[in-house]
Amino acid sequence: MKQLSIVDLSGAIAVVALLALAPVLLNSNYFTGVLTVCVIYAIWAASWDFMSGLTGRENFGHSLFIGAGAYTAGFLATVWYANPWYSLPTAVVVAVAFSLIVGFPTLRLRGPYFALAMLSASAIMQRLCLIFWEYSGGEEGLYGLDPLIQSPLHYYWFVLAVLVAAVAILTALAQSHWGLLLRAIRGDEATCQAAGINVTFYKIASLTISAAFAGLGGALYAHYQLQVSPPLFSVVVSITVIIMVYVGGIGSIYGPALGAIMLTLLTELLRSFGEYRLWVYTLTLMLILFFLPNGLIAPLWRRLTERFR
Amino acid sequence: MLEILIYGAVSSAIYAMLAVGFTLIFGVARILNLAHGAFYALGAYAAYVFTSLLHWPLFIAAPLAVLSVALFGVLMERFLVRPLRYSQLAVLMITLSVSLAVEQGLFITFGSEYRNVPSFVAEKVSIGGVDIGGQRLLALIAGVLVLLLLWLFIQRTRLGAAILAVSQDPEAAQYMGIPTNRIFSVVMAISAGTAALAGVLVSPFLTVQPTMGLLPMVKAFAIVIVGGLGSIPGSILAALLLGYSETIVAYLISSSWTELVSLVAVVITLMIKPSGLLGRRAAF
Amino acid sequence: MSAILEVKDLSKRFGGLTATRNVSFSLEPGELTGILGPNGAGKTTLFNLLTGFIAADTGSVLFEGQELRGLAPHKIVNRGVARTFQLTRPFLGMTVLENVVVACLSPRARDAHDKEARAQELLDHVGLGSKAREPVETLPYGDLRRLEIARALATKPNLLLLDEPFAGLGSSEIEPLAQLIKRLHREQKLTILLIEHKLREFMALVSRVIAIDFGEIIAIAPPSEIVRNPRVIEAYIGKTEAAHASA
Repeated sequence: MKQLSIVDLSGAIAVVALLALAPVLLNSNYFTGVLTVCVIYAIWAASWDFMSGLTGRENFGHSLFIGAGAYTAGFLATVWYANPWYSLPTAVVVAVAFSLIVGFPTLRLRGPYFALAMLSASAIMQRLCLIFWEYSGGEEGLYGLDPLIQSPLHYYWFVLAVLVAAVAILTALAQSHWGLLLRAIRGDEATCQAAGINVTFYKIASLTISAAFAGLGGALYAHYQLQVSPPLFSVVVSITVIIMVYVGGIGSIYGPALGAIMLTLLTELLRSFGEYRLWVYTLTLMLILFFLPNGLIAPLWRRLTERFR
Repeated sequence: MLEILIYGAVSSAIYAMLAVGFTLIFGVARILNLAHGAFYALGAYAAYVFTSLLHWPLFIAAPLAVLSVALFGVLMERFLVRPLRYSQLAVLMITLSVSLAVEQGLFITFGSEYRNVPSFVAEKVSIGGVDIGGQRLLALIAGVLVLLLLWLFIQRTRLGAAILAVSQDPEAAQYMGIPTNRIFSVVMAISAGTAALAGVLVSPFLTVQPTMGLLPMVKAFAIVIVGGLGSIPGSILAALLLGYSETIVAYLISSSWTELVSLVAVVITLMIKPSGLLGRRAAF
Repeated sequence: MSAILEVKDLSKRFGGLTATRNVSFSLEPGELTGILGPNGAGKTTLFNLLTGFIAADTGSVLFEGQELRGLAPHKIVNRGVARTFQLTRPFLGMTVLENVVVACLSPRARDAHDKEARAQELLDHVGLGSKAREPVETLPYGDLRRLEIARALATKPNLLLLDEPFAGLGSSEIEPLAQLIKRLHREQKLTILLIEHKLREFMALVSRVIAIDFGEIIAIAPPSEIVRNPRVIEAYIGKTEAAHASA
């Protein structure tokens, strides 16, 4: 398949180096925290893109996997007092289990069932967290998680390493035959079936991979905030991730990751907007849908580097 | 027992109003409108503004609330959805962003606290020894009436026939000279209007609050999937099924578990009969 | 020799409409057979029933002695029954080669380790080898048909179903495509069943014609006899293409 070009590789190294050095240069714990959140959102955006961007099946409830991962970490820490490092693998397993529960009945079908089911499942999970407050901590959520790594800077580097690994794995998969199949499924499912491809299997498998990384990101987020609460399941989280993917350029994996970092940083700049923030996001999405249907970052990068290829 | 019967009927009627509008605009225009819950919330807030703040009489406030939301729906379809119809995903995204924009708009304007709307009917009615709020009864009656009117409209009028034709085969309908774009506007108005009416009707006895649209919309999805995408009778049947199941679960177990009813119903439907109770087919 | 495909009493109703009624026929290995019928006679529905894209109400489809009815479309392909579509459906945004690589990823093509090389081989075989690296959007209609055939061949079929391969093609494109089909039939000993509603293309190509109308088989005969069959003439030739048939 496609080889990773030198240009892309050097671009990636430059961005990662910049991200790794930024907190050292700025030397502010607050900014390190902001960057940590940026990078976690980047993991969520890249994982959304792998399933929905490649196969074209819209996932409107990515927060289901994010929340599942985060709450897994929360329960492990506050109910079983487990070693915080157990959170990561357990969160992956739980998120994958959720993806199978939603994906199996809905991805066999054509039509909007998957999109509706994901949106509904995440909304209902958020609701269940409030209803079964005896177990989930209700509105307050679960408190008192231990950090995975004490130093915020070291934790940031760890999360960044996870992002790099996630983007590398997902990009490798997307550029492999597997990714070609997923793009073929987006194009025409019937033709794929006529070529003997088990379309349902590939869709569900890619959803589980997407969910695994989202759940991992959820656990990383929980151990950064040291608490989890029901808004993690909210539709707002899902749509924020989707907007990031759109800004980055759907289907390119690295674009959405960068889109997430850019938008999260922008959000910090827009702090003065306070409650208007989400409005700005929504407006951004509308503008992109109308004027830049292919997104901003990935197409821009391709344009800029065209001549070096 | 009688209590279950009456309360179940009330929630079924509200669900049916929401689900029928949602399935109608999907069946006719293939628009999966994720802003449907926003229409419901807007209806409730419009009722709040017109009655609690402006103190207008009910017979003006309620129709005006419904009409303004219907107009909002038509404008949304015309200027935001129609240019993006080439892509199913873009339509989903734009309607979802409208729904978020509305939610945020309500939040910024009215804050997150619960708003009260005075009861339209203060009296309690006693049926067979069960006291039921007049407002709930009004919701039930209005719901049944609206659905009946809608059915008559679609079955008995020329415009209704045109709507049916478009839903069955949009291309053929266009060749026959039916102005599909105008039909979409009409259906959007009906869809948004019924959702808003549901919002107006429940506003006195449910909490009026910016995020109030999301869960009812999720219920509407569930009903539409169980009933069969695009089928109006299916939606009504499924609304009854869900409304009563929830009421029964609330009585027998606990109201906490009602939220799970719709989820379980959807999963069972998709496993056993994906096209729904009365749907023609699963795919579109 | 026993039949490779044996269809018995296959029926399908859509609502009140009978799309396929008690269709029974069988194909011998290595046969090149045509299905003839006017538009709307239920030819494509029959293909969809055979390939699992539509579930039959009753009847059975035995392929190499095994029941196909009830299997998912991709499983049927993996038993060795490949099809093309009447409307060509390339995967847009990919190269011609990538379009065939997708089909080379199916389980039946597992033994080909270098998928790209295998895809190139197939493209050479159908005469598209020189266009492998081009975006699929640039292909003319006739080449898209060849691409469809290459994709179908990638799954190593024992039975190939072609849904109106000549539809929409100009006369200069029809003859080479017919030659390709003949060559596949001859060289690879493929059993081929093809749908067509124009009689002329049939005459030189197939050894047997199954004529259907309103979802029912009305005649099975060699092409030279089928044109003289009174039911076929009534159902079909009388209506539209008498000129072609007598030509």
